[in-house]
Amino acid sequence: MQKNRSTLAFLSPWIVSFGIFWVFPLLFSLVLSFVRFNPLRPDLVHFVGLSNFSRALTDPLFWTSLRNTFVFVAGTVPVTTVIAFFLAVAINQRIPCRSLYRSGFFIPSVISIVVIAIIFKQLYAPAGLVNKLVESLGGEGRSWLGDPRTSLLSIMAMDVWASFGYYTILFLAGLQAIPSELYEAARIDGSGFWNTLRFITVPMIRPITLFVVVINTIRSFQIFIEIFVMTRGGPLNSTLTSVFYLYDRAFYRFEMGYASAVAYLLFIVIMTFSVLQMKYLRVGRAAGE
Amino acid sequence: MKCDEQLKGPEVAKRRFARGRDTRFLSWAFLLLAFLLVNLGCGQEKGARLTFWQFWPSEIITPIITEFEKANPGVKVEMQQLTWQNGFEKIVAAVSSGTQPDLCELGSTWVPRFAADGVLSDITSEVKDLRESYLFWDSCTLDGKIYGIPWVAGTRVLFYNKRLFERAGLDPEIPPRTWEELIDCADRIHALGKDVYGFGMNAGERYILYKKFMPFAWGSGGDILSDDLAHSVFSSKENVDALHFYCSLRDVSLMEKQDVLDMAFKQGKLGLQISGGWNLRTIPSDVPELEFGVALVPKRALDRGFHASFAGSEVLVTFVKSKHKREALKLARFLISKGNVISLCRSAKSVQPALKGAENDPYYESHPLERVFVIQLGTAVPPPPHPSWVEIEEAINTAIEEAIYEIRSPEDALAEADRKIERIVSRADG
Repeated sequence: MQKNRSTLAFLSPWIVSFGIFWVFPLLFSLVLSFVRFNPLRPDLVHFVGLSNFSRALTDPLFWTSLRNTFVFVAGTVPVTTVIAFFLAVAINQRIPCRSLYRSGFFIPSVISIVVIAIIFKQLYAPAGLVNKLVESLGGEGRSWLGDPRTSLLSIMAMDVWASFGYYTILFLAGLQAIPSELYEAARIDGSGFWNTLRFITVPMIRPITLFVVVINTIRSFQIFIEIFVMTRGGPLNSTLTSVFYLYDRAFYRFEMGYASAVAYLLFIVIMTFSVLQMKYLRVGRAAGE
Repeated sequence: MKCDEQLKGPEVAKRRFARGRDTRFLSWAFLLLAFLLVNLGCGQEKGARLTFWQFWPSEIITPIITEFEKANPGVKVEMQQLTWQNGFEKIVAAVSSGTQPDLCELGSTWVPRFAADGVLSDITSEVKDLRESYLFWDSCTLDGKIYGIPWVAGTRVLFYNKRLFERAGLDPEIPPRTWEELIDCADRIHALGKDVYGFGMNAGERYILYKKFMPFAWGSGGDILSDDLAHSVFSSKENVDALHFYCSLRDVSLMEKQDVLDMAFKQGKLGLQISGGWNLRTIPSDVPELEFGVALVPKRALDRGFHASFAGSEVLVTFVKSKHKREALKLARFLISKGNVISLCRSAKSVQPALKGAENDPYYESHPLERVFVIQLGTAVPPPPHPSWVEIEEAINTAIEEAIYEIRSPEDALAEADRKIERIVSRADG
C-alpha cells in the first residue's frame, strides 16, 4: 500500500502533465468536432452533430490535402526505410571511421526541422545549389518550390534527407542485437551476402522494421512544419497537406470545431494505417518463424 | 572503502524514501513550493501594471516604453514581443481564455474580424481629436465605430537596380512611371543574359500575391468590394486588364517567393521588383555597394490611373475585457505621438508613420528613399475592412495563382473568384 503510494507520488508529475497536456486536449477536441466554435465568441458555441464531418468530406480542398498527404507518405516512408536499412547494413561492416559515418548520418536529426527547411529553401532557389548542380550536369535549372509540379517532390526529398539518419541508427541498433553465431553458421554453410541478408538479417530485424515503418508513417501523415516554413500549401495547393489545411481553418478562420473534425478524420486514417501495418508486418514475422 | 560507500548510498536512500513519513514530507514540500511559485507569479504591486503586446524587437521599442514609464510614475508596462508567425494565434488564445493584454498591436486586416466578434473596445469617442492628423481610420472601423488607433503603416514600392539599368541602356535616374515603361525596362534588362531577370514576380506564397497584383488593379480604377462592402466587384474590366498586364510581365520575370526575390535583388540579378521597406534596412547592411533606387508603383498611363500600392497598417487596440483601458489609451497616445512614431520608424525602416504630412518632417526630407515610401502611402490602398477578409484574400490569391501559372485565363480566374467573394460577403454571419 505504502509502496503504491510512493510510486504514485513519483509518477505524479508525469501523470498530471499527461492528463493536462494529452488526455484533456484529446477529449476536448473530440467534443469540439461536434460543435461550431469560434474561440473569440465562446458564448456562441452550439452543437452541430456530424455536420463538421460531412462538410469536410464534401470539401474538395480537404480531399486535395489528403491526396497530397498520401503522396507524401507513400513517397517518403518506403524510400527512407530502404535507405536507412542499407546504410545501417553498410556501416555495420568493419569499415574504417565507422563512428564518423554513424554520427554524420545522425546529424540532420539533431538540427531543428525549421532550420533545415529554411536552408533548403535557399538550396532550391533558382540561383541555389541544387540548380547549380543540375546545370553542371547539363540539365535545366528550375524553381523547385515555385513550380506546382515539383514543389511537393522537393519537400519530400528534403524530408528523406532529414529523417533517414535517425532510422539508420535504429536499424543499426537492431543489427547489433542479432547474434553473430547466426552469421557464422551462415558463412560455414556457404551463404553469400544477399542470401544472408535475406534469410537472416531481414527476418531478425523485422521488429525494428515494424517500429520504423509505423513511426515514420505516423510522423509523415502529420507533415506540417516543412510546409509552413517553405510553401504554406502553395503554389496552387500543390503542397497543401491535411495538417496545414486544418491549421489554416483553425487559426486563420477561427473554425475550431471544423478543424477538430478534420483532425479526427486524419486520426482515423492514421490509426487504420498503423493497425494494418502492425497486422501485416506481425503476420509476416509469425510466418517467417 | 570508497567502493563500499558507493554501494551503501543507494541502499540507504531507498530505505529512507520507502518510509511513509518522508514521502509525506516530500509531497508537502512540493505542494508548498508550488504554492509559493503561484503566489509569486501574481504578487501585487502598487500602481497599475499595464500589459502591452507588440511585434517590435526590444531594442526598437524599449527606449520608448522607458520614456513612458518615466513620464508616468506609478504605471509599470509589462511588454511581450509577439512574432508575425504565431502572434495571431497567441492573441486569439489569450482572448478566448480571458488573459488578453491591456494594449495590443494588431495587423489592420485582423481588426474587422476581432471587432465583428465583439472583443475589441469601441473607442470612437476617445479618439475624436486624433482623426484629423492620422491616416487609415477606415481599417479600424466597422459599422461606423472605431476600434483601433493607427500606429504605423507599411507599403510596397518599386525597387530597381541602377547598374542593370545602365547595362540595358536605360537612364538610371528615370525609373518607369507607367505600365508600358515598366514592361519595356523589364524586357530590356531580362535580355541582358541568362542570370539576370527583368522583374520579380511573387509566386508560391499565396498570402502575399494580392499585395503585388492589386496595386495595378486599384491604380486603374478596379477594386475588390463595392464601397458598402456588400458586393464583389472583382471581375471588373479594370481588374481583367490589370491581370492581363500582370501576366504579361511573366515572360521577363523571375517567379519566386519574396525572400528569394529580395536575395536575387541584392545579388544584382533582378532589375525591378515591388517590395517593402525592410530592404532599406537589409540592403545597406548586406550589400552596401548595391546601387538601387526606389519609385512609386507605375500607373496605367501618364494620363490614366494613379500610383496605387498596397497599404497595411498596424493599429493599437484594447479589448472589452482589458483591465486598464484608461492607461492603455494613454500609452497608445504616447506611442503614436509624432516624435515617438518617427523614431520607431527610423530604426525599423520597414514601416512609416500612419501620420498625415510625415513627408515634410525633417527626417524624411533628408532621407529620400524612405520619403518615397511615405509619399507612396498617400495613394496606397488598404484591403477592404471586411470581417471575412481572410477568405476573400484566399479567393483573390487563388485567382492570381491560376492566372500566373496559366491554369485559367485572367477572365475565368477573376470570374470564379468573383463568385466566391460574392458568396462570402452575402453570407449572413459575416
